[in-house]
Amino acid sequence: MSLELVFQQALNGLSFGALLFILASGLSLVFGMMDVVNLAHGAFYMLGAYVALSVVQVTGSFWIAMLAAPLALALVGLVVEPLLLRRLRGRHLDQVLLTIGVSLVIVDLIGQLWGREVRSLSAPPGLDGSVGLIGGVYPVYRLFVIAFGVVLAAAMAVVYRRTRIGMLIRAGVEDAEMLGALGIDTNRLFASTFATGAALAGLAGVIAAPVFGVQPGMDTDPGLLYSLVVVVVGGLGTLSGAVAGSLLIGPADTFGKVLFQDVALAVIFAIVALVLLLKPTGLLGRIRIAR
Amino acid sequence: MGGFVKNKLAEKRGYTYRLTRRQFLVASSAAALAACAPGAVTPSASSSVAPGKALKIGLLLPFSGVYAELGTSMRRATEFYLRQNDTKLANRPVTTVYADDANVTATGIAAAQKFIDQDQVDVLMGVVPTPLAYGIRNAVHAAKLIFIDTNAGGNALTRDTTNCTPSCKSPYIFRASFSSYQISYPIGDYLSAKGTKEFFLAYANYGFGTESAADFTTGLKKNGGTTTGNVAPPLGNPDFAPFVTQIKNQPTKNVYSFFSGADAIGFIKSWNSLGLPAAGYKMYGAGFLTEQDVLKEVKDLANGAITSLFWAVELDNAENKKFVADFQKQYPLLPDVFTVQQYDGMRALDEALKALGGDTSDKDKFVKALEDVSFKSPRGDFAFDKTTHNPIQDIYIREVKTQNGQTVNTISDKIAKVTDPGK
Repeated sequence: MSLELVFQQALNGLSFGALLFILASGLSLVFGMMDVVNLAHGAFYMLGAYVALSVVQVTGSFWIAMLAAPLALALVGLVVEPLLLRRLRGRHLDQVLLTIGVSLVIVDLIGQLWGREVRSLSAPPGLDGSVGLIGGVYPVYRLFVIAFGVVLAAAMAVVYRRTRIGMLIRAGVEDAEMLGALGIDTNRLFASTFATGAALAGLAGVIAAPVFGVQPGMDTDPGLLYSLVVVVVGGLGTLSGAVAGSLLIGPADTFGKVLFQDVALAVIFAIVALVLLLKPTGLLGRIRIAR
Repeated sequence: MGGFVKNKLAEKRGYTYRLTRRQFLVASSAAALAACAPGAVTPSASSSVAPGKALKIGLLLPFSGVYAELGTSMRRATEFYLRQNDTKLANRPVTTVYADDANVTATGIAAAQKFIDQDQVDVLMGVVPTPLAYGIRNAVHAAKLIFIDTNAGGNALTRDTTNCTPSCKSPYIFRASFSSYQISYPIGDYLSAKGTKEFFLAYANYGFGTESAADFTTGLKKNGGTTTGNVAPPLGNPDFAPFVTQIKNQPTKNVYSFFSGADAIGFIKSWNSLGLPAAGYKMYGAGFLTEQDVLKEVKDLANGAITSLFWAVELDNAENKKFVADFQKQYPLLPDVFTVQQYDGMRALDEALKALGGDTSDKDKFVKALEDVSFKSPRGDFAFDKTTHNPIQDIYIREVKTQNGQTVNTISDKIAKVTDPGK
């Protein structure tokens, strides 16, 4: 590999990683707070992409879709959590099973409403061109994705560390029961956390659509598959873990697939296995006390 | 006793896998029932005798999973053909039974077995993924069930192979679609004969993609052509930028690719956003790279791509014009290549039944009648190769152009009567 090629692939890997971060952040948030592995996360991501398709069709604006899809998904989250998940609080396995059910229903509804053909979404005007970089031209949209990922991570870090909501979330991660005893309405906190997680999945659906496409099956691959890999490798339930996971997996997947293309699919899981062997909690995971 | 029944049944039905407990229970109780009935005949011999009796067609298609749209399209084609013919083939009224394989081979195999044992269908049609077609080959062959494959293109299904690995032809299996040889070898031969001899390969890394790339290379080498390297993303790859970047950093400008559906869209979009057309790279491929499902999403981004297939919606012949017009009277969309494959499968079956006067009781005569079928299809002249049961068909060289705001495959040349070599 020439240096030029390495640079271009590193850029590909970084933008892929940024997409993975946007995709995984919601899953990580919900897990950290509620101790629920939300297996409907991929379906939420898919729904976000399809909502975006329709919004772009009607309004012609990618930017409106970028607001509408997360909002729509937040509403879905606000229905699913109080109506279904809350009843099973503390029963982890049942919650996981329930989210699988939710995802099956959503994916089938998408098939009914939008059809089952392969679709795609173009990058918005202004970001759909290319700029000159080392080794020729590079799509502006992928640079935008990197910037967006950085901004989102920074914004989430500020909310986590500097705001009252962030404090509640961190406290909830530590001990939700104690938080309740201190007079915080944990029902409301959990519902809004779950809705935020769903909204992030919806946002990922819009941002990733011009790169990953919009098609049946996207809920599992790349949706759920990659977000689980990122969250498990990075460390369950922490923001820094999601950042570390996507920064490792994005470039590793990119280089792995072109360097070892005959075992392309195995590369990523070899990394997962290795990380889990050396550090079972993930790169930046915390040790959780079994409750 | 139990063991004896199981082995005998397994042998009779050509199972090459171990029976699950459920299959064993179903199979052994069916055998027990059969043994109780004095003078019982095998079910397949008792059904499908009299002309005029309903003809039962089992259709094994994906209605969920990544290929759901293909299944939907082929179901539509079946209904379209039957509607045009008063739900009759020859003098036999038709009943259809659909099963969803969900693109899971094991699910599809179980569904095919249900068609054989429980529904006792007269004819099996459909099958989208090649691994599933290979997976049901032995069961279909052992049951002497007429199977008209209307999509899966793996070469081995209509070939002689050593030890029938991964699959092999059967007298009872016909193919109304294509073999991957037919959509890959001729264009390699054609391009190298015209003087374009050096190619870089890009293909989805699964059975069908590697087969297509290999057949293309063989065609290329016939006239002294060579390949200079390859990239092979996994099937269903989310991000194509890394692979297109690899292509951009090597000197061979002509790139032959095998992708379809979402992969094709991802490939073509990355190809453009990374500036390959401006850098002088040229896209070639098997026809699925630029079929309507892809073109309606990528539009003029695919302009200039040269691909080969046995049909195009723009094909200029009387049958195709009528077919496209009639189809559009029924449905608010254009027919796609999967529609044509299934439609031709129905037509072939119809023609064979007409020759037989609707009598399907003699399997050998049924096979012979299908072998003798020939008609004008929307794709051109259609006939089965008698030795392989794969269609003999014209292959069209097509170039993507945007005309009057529509991006279409224009026909630039034709390779007449391409036959699969059969081994």
